[in-house]
Amino acid sequence: MSASHDLHHGHLKLQYEPCLPIPNGKVCLWLFLSTEIMFFAGLIGTYIVIRFGAPTGSWPRPEAVHLVEIIGAFNTFVLICSSVTIVLALEAAKKNAAESAKRWMWLTFFLGCTFLGVKAFEYKSKFAHGIYPQMPHSLIYEKPDVNYSAAVRTTLQDKSNQLSKEKTELGEAFHRDSELEQCQTMLVGMVKWSDLASVRAETSVEQHAAYENMAHVVYPAGSGAGHGMPTDDIANERKIRIKELEAVQTRKAGLLAEKKAADDKGQPVPLVDAELKTSEESDALLQARIKFLDLCSSSEAEEGLNHKFENEGTWLTLPMMIPSGNMWASTYFLLTGFHAIHVIVGLILFAYILPLRLDSKKAHLLENSGLYWHFVDLVWIFLFPLLYLF
Amino acid sequence: MQSHDHHGQDMSHASTSHGGDHHSHGGTGTYIMVFLALCALTTVSIFTTLTWWREQVPDSVSWAIMMVVSCMKALLVILFFMHLLWEANWKWVLTVPAACMSLFLVLMLIPDIGLRTRNYSEERWSAAAYPSPVKVSHAEHTEEDDHKSHDGSSGQGSDGAHGHDSPPRQESGH
Repeated sequence: MSASHDLHHGHLKLQYEPCLPIPNGKVCLWLFLSTEIMFFAGLIGTYIVIRFGAPTGSWPRPEAVHLVEIIGAFNTFVLICSSVTIVLALEAAKKNAAESAKRWMWLTFFLGCTFLGVKAFEYKSKFAHGIYPQMPHSLIYEKPDVNYSAAVRTTLQDKSNQLSKEKTELGEAFHRDSELEQCQTMLVGMVKWSDLASVRAETSVEQHAAYENMAHVVYPAGSGAGHGMPTDDIANERKIRIKELEAVQTRKAGLLAEKKAADDKGQPVPLVDAELKTSEESDALLQARIKFLDLCSSSEAEEGLNHKFENEGTWLTLPMMIPSGNMWASTYFLLTGFHAIHVIVGLILFAYILPLRLDSKKAHLLENSGLYWHFVDLVWIFLFPLLYLF
Repeated sequence: MQSHDHHGQDMSHASTSHGGDHHSHGGTGTYIMVFLALCALTTVSIFTTLTWWREQVPDSVSWAIMMVVSCMKALLVILFFMHLLWEANWKWVLTVPAACMSLFLVLMLIPDIGLRTRNYSEERWSAAAYPSPVKVSHAEHTEEDDHKSHDGSSGQGSDGAHGHDSPPRQESGH
């Protein structure tokens, strides 16, 4: 004992003992992962609680928000494959097979990029349909009420003004007359009609029903129905409106005759004038409504007006009524966005590792980045059923 | 610092020499088996969304199946790909508290957020998301009916609030 003391100039020889039987880097990574577990558990847990706490039946079905299950399943498969390739890269590195490890890592990197590419494609298709997490771009309304009706009216008026402006500028060269006409038909035959129906409604149920019909015609998928207004309903309503129109026109003709007779006598008839004005208004309204019903009865409008416009080159996307749609969009983009950020971080790690010679000395790098990557996969394992299949 | 570096190398050497016996508890064969199991489990959860399955099985059962499948997949990844199966006892120190905390976090949210509609006033209901008039699954129906009868017995106010939305729902239901 004293000899060794002398050897080390009076200092004790201390041996480094790690508190855990694993390298420091791995300890740090596992500590980081345990914070990550809580981070994602918070996000996923909040999503579950919000989703199942939503008013019964109000959470949007996947097809209402343009979620395609098979794309999500493909991305799940891609991530599972990448988990296998990175674990095989680690095995190869441990056996000192640097070339083989590098090949597996390249494959992992490629699969990670594929996942992000598919995710970007999915986001793009959401954006194209007016599904954004936030207002100025988002076209989602959660209830069929006056706000929804106002949004539809504003959209139609803007489009109609834009088309009218084009028409005056282009003159003869303008060939979007049918679009302009459709806008005006919808403004009167759909929006104004629903507004009037809602004003005339005696109960709140009827009031809701007026706007619900409109929302249903625009985007039936939003409220869980596959098809827009049933063709029978359209035909029935059309019959009623035509009868009403005939009655209005007969009355108008009578009023006009009365007015003419009074004019010949030189007598002012204010009551007849007033009634004539209202009958002219209802004439125009009914004609617009009948035109609108014709617009709805075309086979292209079977899956909603938005679907029809999309088939015509997406010249117009009307605001949609999707119950709990905004809550859905917020949670969807938050969860998948944070997951995508983690995927990007993983890819940056891989980009750092790939130029190195991946032999057994570098195995710890592969092990640590692999642990992180498996965690990213783990999160997606929960996100996929929760977001796409529930 | 130097001794630390030296030790780090020791560790990596240790793990590489260990890598030789890894075949007993790792190895390509095991990973391929795990991969196939993961694919099979994913197929099971997609299977529960098929139309004919939905017609026969209530949604809540499908959800439970999907969550069990997800937990099994997560376990497979953690145990085999993340090597936790073969790690020493330190694994419990990290994973058990993290799992408890995350579970606790979710449970804490249930009273305020998960059950938020229980105490909605009539005014709040009028600002709530509009329920879709078309019901897809049978399970949601019964749940909703239960909820309604419960409301009727507990308070007039909330029942009246429900009345806003119930007529279109009932029409489509029957």
